[in-house]
Order: sequence, then C-alpha cells, then structure tokens
Amino acid sequence: MKHFKETLYDSVCQEYRIDKLYFESKTEHQHLMIFHNAQLGRVMTLDGIVQTTEADEFIYHEMLTHVPMLAHGAAKRVLIIGGGDGGMLREAIKHPIEHITQVEIDEAVVEMAIKYLPNHSAGAYNDKRLNLVIDDGIEFVKNTDEKFDVIISDSTDPIGPGEVLFTDNFYAQAKRCLNPGGILVTQNGVPFFQKDEVKTTFQRMGQQFADMGFYCAPIPTYYGGFMTFAWGTDNNDARDKPLAEISQQFEQLNIKTRYYNPAIHQASFALPQYILDALKPTS
Amino acid sequence: MDLRPVTLGADEATKQYYQDLVAQHGSPLLVYDPFVLKQQYKALHATLPNVALYYAVKAHPDSHIVNTIDELGGGFDIASAGEMDVLLQHQISGRRTIHTHPVKKDKEIRDALRFGATTFVVDNLDEIKKLLPYRSRVGVLLRISFRSKSAAVDLSKKFGCTPEEAITLALDAAKLDIHIKGLSFHVGSQCLNSDKHVEAIAACHELITTINTQVESPLSVLDIGGGFPADYANTGIDIEQFCAPIKAALAKLPNDWHLIAEPGRYLIAPAVISITTVTGKSMRNGFRWYYLDDGVYGSYSGQIFDHATYPLQVLKDGDCHASIVAGPTCDSIDVIAENIQLPELEIGDLLIGHQMGAYTAATKTRFNSIPEAKLVVNDSTPTT
Repeated sequence: MKHFKETLYDSVCQEYRIDKLYFESKTEHQHLMIFHNAQLGRVMTLDGIVQTTEADEFIYHEMLTHVPMLAHGAAKRVLIIGGGDGGMLREAIKHPIEHITQVEIDEAVVEMAIKYLPNHSAGAYNDKRLNLVIDDGIEFVKNTDEKFDVIISDSTDPIGPGEVLFTDNFYAQAKRCLNPGGILVTQNGVPFFQKDEVKTTFQRMGQQFADMGFYCAPIPTYYGGFMTFAWGTDNNDARDKPLAEISQQFEQLNIKTRYYNPAIHQASFALPQYILDALKPTS
Repeated sequence: MDLRPVTLGADEATKQYYQDLVAQHGSPLLVYDPFVLKQQYKALHATLPNVALYYAVKAHPDSHIVNTIDELGGGFDIASAGEMDVLLQHQISGRRTIHTHPVKKDKEIRDALRFGATTFVVDNLDEIKKLLPYRSRVGVLLRISFRSKSAAVDLSKKFGCTPEEAITLALDAAKLDIHIKGLSFHVGSQCLNSDKHVEAIAACHELITTINTQVESPLSVLDIGGGFPADYANTGIDIEQFCAPIKAALAKLPNDWHLIAEPGRYLIAPAVISITTVTGKSMRNGFRWYYLDDGVYGSYSGQIFDHATYPLQVLKDGDCHASIVAGPTCDSIDVIAENIQLPELEIGDLLIGHQMGAYTAATKTRFNSIPEAKLVVNDSTPTT
C-alpha cells in the first residue's frame, strides 16, 4: 500500500501518501499502522482510521487534558482510559499531580508508540507517578476501588474495542470512580459527520452528571470541523470558572502550549448552532 | 450417460508436467495458474472497461488467488469475516471491497466496518434498520431480484426485492437518513447468454431514474453482479461476444454512474485444475470402476453444490470402455462420473479435472476425515 485511504465514511475519504511505512500489524485487538507523511509527520492509524499525527496531535491532547485539569484546579489523581500513544500522559504529567493511572487495552499500541511515535510520550511512560495497566477500560472502572479527580477517556471510535467506552455502564462506573467534584471527559467524534454520536453520548452520559455537555476544538486530521469532547461533573461551577482564575493558575503552572490558553479554554464551551441543534430532543 | 467432455491422452511434456507435480507434492492436488487468472481478468476488463471488477472471493478464497487479484488492482466482493481475514493478511484496504451479503448480524456489520468495508447490500427494511447506528459511515446497495431461466444457479430466489419494493425501500431508507447509493442484481451464475443482464440493466436504469426524482441524494451505483460463464463444455467462451449486449445496455446509462461487477466463476474456473490418482479399480456389473483420492466431498464438491460437471482428462489413449469414476469416501454418492468412456486405467494413473477453480475447494467437506487436495501454484505455464 503506497497510500493510506481512510475507511471512515463511504462517500468521502481522506488519503495520505505513505512516505515511509514504519510498522504495520494486526494485533490481538486491532489493525495498526504507523507511517510518515511529508505534511503531517508520523501518522498512526487503527482499523483504517487516523488516530493521531505528529503535526496536529497537540490540539487534541492539550484540550483533553488541560481543560478538565485547570477547570478542576486541584486534581491530584488522574485516570486515562486508552491513550496508548502516550500524548495524553505527556500533557497530564505537566500538572502537579500525585498519581496517574493509564488503562490501555492493547499493549502493542504502547510498545509501538514508544518505538515509532517517541515524540508523543516524550519519555512520559518513565514517570514514577504512573501506574500503567493493560486491561479493558470498562473492566478497570468496574473493579477498581481507587478514586480519581479527573478521568480522561481517550478512546477509538465506538466501533471496535472502544465500543464499551460509549455505554451507559461505562459512564456510570467512571462516575463511581470520581472523587466529589471530579470531572470525566471523553473523546466524542466529529459531529459534522457523526451527529448520532454526540446525540447518543448526550443522552447516556447526561443521566450520570449534574452538569453534562460538550466543548470542542478543530483537529485537522479528524476532518469535518470541530471535534467534540464530552464533559461530565457534579460540580456545576467547574465549567464557568472565571477567566482570571484559570489564567492565574495557568501562569503558575508555566506549561508551554500550542493550542490551549485560558481564553480558548472558556471559549471552547461555546458550541456551534448545528451541534446545539443535534442535542435537542427529537420529537 | 455422462456427456461431459473427456480428453484422452496428452503430449509427453504435459504428461511429464503432471507426473512431476504429483512426484513433488503428492496427490490429490489443485494446481493454480496465476497466468490464466490474469488473462481472464484482462479479457473481462477489456470487454467492459467502464465496469469496476470485484472478484467474488467466495468462488475460491485461496490466499494466492487473492494475491493475484490484488496485483491486478481489482476489487473484492466479500461476504464474511473469514473472507476479510484473507484480505487483511495481504494488507488489502477495505476501501477496495464491497460487502454483499444481504443478511447480516450486527457483529458482522461492525467487523466489516472495522475492516474498512463501507458498502453494504440489503434487500428489506429490517436489514436497512440494522445499519441505522452506522448511517454516517455506510453506502447501501439495494439488491433487486430478476429471475433467470438460463442460469445454472438461480441467485434471485433466496435474495433480492422486487422492483416495486425497491422504490418503497429507497424512500423508507431516505426517511431514516440512510443513504441508498445504488442497486445491485444477480441474474444467476453460469448464464448461457446475457439477455437477462440486459433486461435487468434496463429495468434498473428506469428504477433509479424513478427513485432519483423522489430522493435528495441520488442513486449512482449499479452493480451488475456476476453470471459470466466458465467453459465447462470445452466449446470455448467468447467473453467479448457474451458481454457485447451488456456493454451496449450500459452505454445507455448516464456516464457519471458507477458501474460494478462481481465476477467469480469466469475469472477463476479455468485457472485451477485438479489432479487425482487412481487408487483402486474393480469390475462391477459390466462397468470398470476407478476409485480416486479426491471426489465430490472434496475438490469435486461443486458437482453437488454448484451443479457443475468438469471436463476430465486421462493421460492415456486407447480402446474405451464404459467406466465409473468414484471418489475416496465410503459414501455411494461419491461418484464423479457415471458411465463415461475411458481407456483401461491402472492404479497410479492420473486423472485431470479442468475448469476447477470456482466453487470447488470452496465447498469441500471434511467427510471421512480424508486429507484435502493441496493447492500448488504453477509458476511456469505448461504446454497443454
């Protein structure tokens, strides 16, 4: 294969030239490829769908960590579900946390990412605060006694091993693992093309939290405009944290970011009308 | 009386070739010749240049055969997770496949999507509704039933909706926001002529035109299925002549429509031969019985399931006698040819089955736990 054609939609598809194929395998759980593309750097695909590229991963990873972390303001214990490429872990450990658990279903993804996408984890897998668990995310949240302040679900699409991470059961079990005032955020697809996904999550996750909604950011290689991130917490004030407070904390953290900043943080909760319309109950 | 073509004798080089294969690989064998498949593919492509060819993997899902189609740049018509696994071994993108089984479990749909197949075939509302959770990802073909009297295998009996139902289904799907992108039909397998294809193309043209006045997203795909024949009668098949009326019918369609065919038998039948060995003989009721090491539970299973009779060849010439050729199992149904004229064969003689690529090994059984014929690839085409 000299070109990668994404198989996400039948009538449209993005195509990447493969400039160098680093790795291709059918693992126990999924079909994994890592290759280089001139425009996007290293690209990782699973089951024919782009998961991450070196060129634009920063938008996704910064937004799915720093928004809940800064909104929470005092998170000490963090749980990442999925995120085998290590990008989420890399961003999360920039915060003054005490402990972080990452639960990844496919050990091969972690190994291959360390080897072929080293800039994603950037050494984060060596962090002493990390407990890396190879398990299905749903099994972990069902069985663990641990509690977390922020839970980040960095999953694949709802078809495949990520399926269970979009169920009522997962949202309920994840909530059970949250400390009071904790926040759950999840990858939730591109609603311009995947309207059903945002609707379904709104119904399912909405049953679990006093405040449930979405924030968004555009990630070029998840094409179709804004990607939504689901947001669930019983702390009604978290989403409306004053800009000054976020800014002050962000400055103290002294984290260098390329997409995230406090103004973007606040603005990302403003949703385009087509997404708001999708969330309205259908009569 | 078995009326199939039987070839008696072969030139020395051909005899030697068959004997060497058995000496090297044992017996029974299926011998696959990629050169023949390439010839068939190119001939069909040349006669229907605007039709994208999707090899019907079910005809013979062997990995070497899939590899040749991949090299030719062809597409793949798949119907199960097992068939997808074969393609995945060759790292063939799901983008080059269509999933054509009209009835699917939810898991099969999900597996197909993970594999990367996004084209699905349906023929009723229940099947359309199964695609609801995946509607943003899929393109759907409605399978229409047109019965063919001339086809050896009628594929419109089990699947396919009527043209009238198709209009209702297309409108129902549109209401569910599921995109029907076109129609497909199968007039049958091993058709004697292309009259039914021509009729079906015209009917689909009219149907799509009608539906397109009533839906927002127009239908633009026509999948004309298979039905291209194999030369079981040894009379020679002129594929250009067979396809000329199809080509003429397709020329009447709007030129921005996407045309698809799912050839299986025509492509692969002549590219595989069977070699079996006489393992025993007897004289019963005036017939010479020859017992072979492969039969209708193995490579010749197509004689039962596919209603095919394959041209046979023995490497000897001479006076012929009424003979019966039987397979290796204990079952009396395991007879390949009854009452055919053959010269006196001896234990260890070879019998060659021709046109044995399609629906042969694909439907073999494990009955009697008799070892299956090994498939070997012919790297250098022999003189025949």
